[in-house]
Amino acid sequence: MSPHYLEIFVIGLALTLLMADAFFPAREKRVIAWIGASGLAIVFGLLFVVDPAALPPDTIAPYYSADPHALFFKGLALIATIFVLLLGCDFMPVLRRGINGADNDRKGGVAESFILPLFACAGMMWMASATDLIFLFLSLELVTISFYVLVASMRRQVGSLEAGVKYLLLGALSTGMLVYGITWVFGATGMTKMSQLAVAVPGMTDNIAALTFGSMLVLAALAFKVGLFPFHSWIPDVYQGAPTPVTAFLAVASKAAAVLVLARFLDPFLNNPEIAAKLIPVLGVISGATLLFGNLGALGQYNFKRLMAYSSIAHAGFLLLGILGRDFTLVSFYLGAYVCMTLAAFFAISIVRRSVGRDDLSAFNGLARRNPALAFTLVVSAASLAGVPLTAGFIGKFGVLMGAVNAGYWPLVAVAVPAAAVGFYYYFKIVRHMFWEKPDDLEPLPVGRLSTTALALLTAGTLVLGFYPRLLERAIQDAPIVPIPAATANTADTP
Amino acid sequence: MVQLPWLLLLLPLATAALIHFALGGSGRLAAWTGTASAFGMLGLSVSLLVGATAEASPFVWLETGMFHPDLEQAITLSLKTDRLALSMMLVVTIVGALVHLFSLTYMAEDKARPRYYAGLSLFLFSMTGIVLAGNLFMMFIFWELVGLSSYLLIGHWFTKKSAAEASKKAFLTNRIGDFGFLVGILLIWGAFGTVDFNALERRVDLGNLPLTGGLLTAGILCLFAGAVGKSAQFPLHVWLPDAMEGPTPVSALIHAATMVAAGVYMLVRISFLIALDPTAAMTIAWIGGGTALLAALLATQQDDIKRVLAYSTLSQLGYMVMAVGLLASQAAYFHLFTHAFFKALLFLGAGAVIYCCHHEQNIWKMGGLAKRMPLTFATFAIGTACLIAVPYVTSGFYSKEAILDSAYAASRPLFWIAAFVALLTAFYMTRLVVVAFLGKARSQYARDAVEAPTPMAFALTCLTLLSIVGGFRFFAEAILPRGFYPTFDSPHHNFVMAVSIICLLAGVVASFLLYRGREKDPLHITPLRRGLYIDDLYTGLIRLFQDGAAAVAAAFDRHILNGFFLGGTAALTQAVGSVFRRMQPGSLHFYLVLAALGIMLLIWATSTV
Repeated sequence: MSPHYLEIFVIGLALTLLMADAFFPAREKRVIAWIGASGLAIVFGLLFVVDPAALPPDTIAPYYSADPHALFFKGLALIATIFVLLLGCDFMPVLRRGINGADNDRKGGVAESFILPLFACAGMMWMASATDLIFLFLSLELVTISFYVLVASMRRQVGSLEAGVKYLLLGALSTGMLVYGITWVFGATGMTKMSQLAVAVPGMTDNIAALTFGSMLVLAALAFKVGLFPFHSWIPDVYQGAPTPVTAFLAVASKAAAVLVLARFLDPFLNNPEIAAKLIPVLGVISGATLLFGNLGALGQYNFKRLMAYSSIAHAGFLLLGILGRDFTLVSFYLGAYVCMTLAAFFAISIVRRSVGRDDLSAFNGLARRNPALAFTLVVSAASLAGVPLTAGFIGKFGVLMGAVNAGYWPLVAVAVPAAAVGFYYYFKIVRHMFWEKPDDLEPLPVGRLSTTALALLTAGTLVLGFYPRLLERAIQDAPIVPIPAATANTADTP
Repeated sequence: MVQLPWLLLLLPLATAALIHFALGGSGRLAAWTGTASAFGMLGLSVSLLVGATAEASPFVWLETGMFHPDLEQAITLSLKTDRLALSMMLVVTIVGALVHLFSLTYMAEDKARPRYYAGLSLFLFSMTGIVLAGNLFMMFIFWELVGLSSYLLIGHWFTKKSAAEASKKAFLTNRIGDFGFLVGILLIWGAFGTVDFNALERRVDLGNLPLTGGLLTAGILCLFAGAVGKSAQFPLHVWLPDAMEGPTPVSALIHAATMVAAGVYMLVRISFLIALDPTAAMTIAWIGGGTALLAALLATQQDDIKRVLAYSTLSQLGYMVMAVGLLASQAAYFHLFTHAFFKALLFLGAGAVIYCCHHEQNIWKMGGLAKRMPLTFATFAIGTACLIAVPYVTSGFYSKEAILDSAYAASRPLFWIAAFVALLTAFYMTRLVVVAFLGKARSQYARDAVEAPTPMAFALTCLTLLSIVGGFRFFAEAILPRGFYPTFDSPHHNFVMAVSIICLLAGVVASFLLYRGREKDPLHITPLRRGLYIDDLYTGLIRLFQDGAAAVAAAFDRHILNGFFLGGTAALTQAVGSVFRRMQPGSLHFYLVLAALGIMLLIWATSTV
């Protein structure tokens, strides 16, 4: 079976659910999430069945590749979406209140929160496979537009609406820059296919100015998606305002897909010595500034979601460091670890939000006494986010730092290590709230069976990957970051 | 195909997990599962020893990058299954299995049996890891794990304050040694580029060492520090007597036969390194000899049956370490081998006595037990005979002769120390037997004592047999690595034997005359009873330095940090916070301006003009 069916399945599933909800509204919207999650689980299973060598039909083939990186990121997107749907199930009471206000009789609007992530998921899977800048743009827009709606979906809450507007405007700006940048790259080279760019750009000597200009615009646009300084500014507000499952989705899946695209796009330019001489210092400064901004900004935060927003900026800095190190397997592992630990943290946030009604750090006071198991999972997650040894986060940070050391970026390492150390302070602030602060009430905090299972899986993943990182060895293969199909390499169809 | 060595290593881990996670509710099931697994391990190690394929492919755990081109890039879990490892495994599993059996009765009344058996299985896992470790990294990992399981088992009765304190003390004291061990491993790794035993030995055989002089001495002594902690040598010996707070079968397994011998085992493993440096070797020998003497002196004045045995263990470990230092690691390992059996026998005998006397451990409250517990007495007496090295019929005799022989050849002062220790050993062990088993019963418990129940008696009998045959050529040569069984053909052998027999007789006779029929101890040497004040010294030192440091830190905190910086830091944090708040005002215009500026900067920075 050719891999391109995977996305078709996901889109088909999403459309079917959308139609089903329009014409046969289910009384219990949870069912939609369940069907969606199970469908994605099946697609995830198919990921191991598909034959990456099978060629898609000629209409798709020029734009689509199923190299090892693409498959890994498809898997990541699927897992993240499955967990986000489960998270949404648990978060439903809050969602319903946010969408329909105090009026409990109205049931509408919730189903979209479960269906739109499927579209975004398909978009991210296409992003992972896109080998053409135009196709990349289209799939990226599918993701972004789905997110515009999702972020603003709790329309009775000012925070959600504000986040939606900010995300829409800044996202539109980034889209504009992306298209404009692609135009310039096309103008300078006459190509939109990444595989052709990968062959042509490293040797180019003329039109460098135009090419660099275009690539900088694309870099800026992708920096928006990943959350790199100085294009990170939407992140704290949007993360705090959006519904928690959407925040988790943004933080995990959207970032992961954008990182792969960024690495793929930058690779040819980093291979051109003339451009690289300018590009590497710029990327280094961006990475260092992002690390500093994310970690220092997190210090003063009292809202857990906002804290996670800054944490996500900080992690973006590490990811860019990994891209600079030019060993993409390290970045892939980092993202795998990041998915586990971040989703676990968001599960905890949503559970506490549901029963305490706030996402402040003070809402977590005394959690160790109210629910020791939940507190334990959050400790594991915080430890991993901070990078304590024997957790997945440590291996990820270690790998990325080592990649930077091997590449000789010592000044960046000198920034990244203290930044990581600062991380310990704010991640363990959460631990302090859970273990040392007195809670307002000592009632045990209930956790649904679904969330328990999900949290157990994510925590186990964080610990197992930290203990035995080679487990991902088969999934993360060392392959060229830009796939160059044998067929297209010699048929350069420059107009 | 399952590789047997890996199975041997993972079986106890699986058992520990099973007991901990699934059998927590049922003490009986946990006990039988643990015992069955221990006997399974015994079967595995016997089959490996008699020739089953001992091949085990290494398992690459972690790969690190290219910090240093000469260094090994991976942390590998590889198993070394030579005869040294397999014979040690046999000792560990025999004693382990018998201790499990013994515990069936000894711990029958205990409320927390699942925790106990999970701990024992975890210990067997960790110990197997040390024994089979193919490199120093792996050994270190399991080195820490035995420390953990020892901590858990010493503190099994953690509600008792002394037990909780003892487990903490054992753990912390061991940490000091382990720190040295880690430094040593890193030194070796940095210099040789590998920590694999085979590779290291090849490097040493080739000559042209990357580490020489003082650095080599330091490296060896750092590794030795690990053994000082684990095998409780002076000055870190203080934890072992206190560790007797744990259940007696644990003392027999961990603190007599196996874990404390791990230090010696490790030294035997790296004996090819020790042989390179005479300074380090001599230091090791003198620390061993000193510990042997110190512990034997202290043992003469203990009233607690387990503490006598604990000091005796220290003293015998001192012998072994001394032998390693005198480059007679074969003799050291042979003594480790025989000692494991008879010391486990003595501890389990003591356990039987304690069990039958309702947990009375003071020998002055026992007496006359020989008549009430004839089998226990017989086995205990044979164990004692082995320990004090009664000629020709006991295993201890052969191994101690081997050590004395090599001491005579290498260093006369150490030989005379060792001979004097032999005298003291005979003295304190005779005292123990005379006071506890002979004479009249001196308490109600001792009068009511009855013979130990069958599983205990069975374990004691098995160990008695092994204690006797353990030293005989036909038995030991079949198990020990080739060339480890002593030849006893040195020219001075007769002299050495004469000295040791004289020491034995002198010790036994003096003790017998002094203690027969006594109601209380005629000797009362306070410094020896108080461990030569070493513990008090450490407490004082810790108080001086820790409290001193704490006072300085407090003053620093109060006057400098709080007064000067904290106000400053708080202001700084707030300032940083407000800067970031200002950068994050929530205003969309500002975000757009920031983004536009960012794009302009990007383009400016990369523009070619």
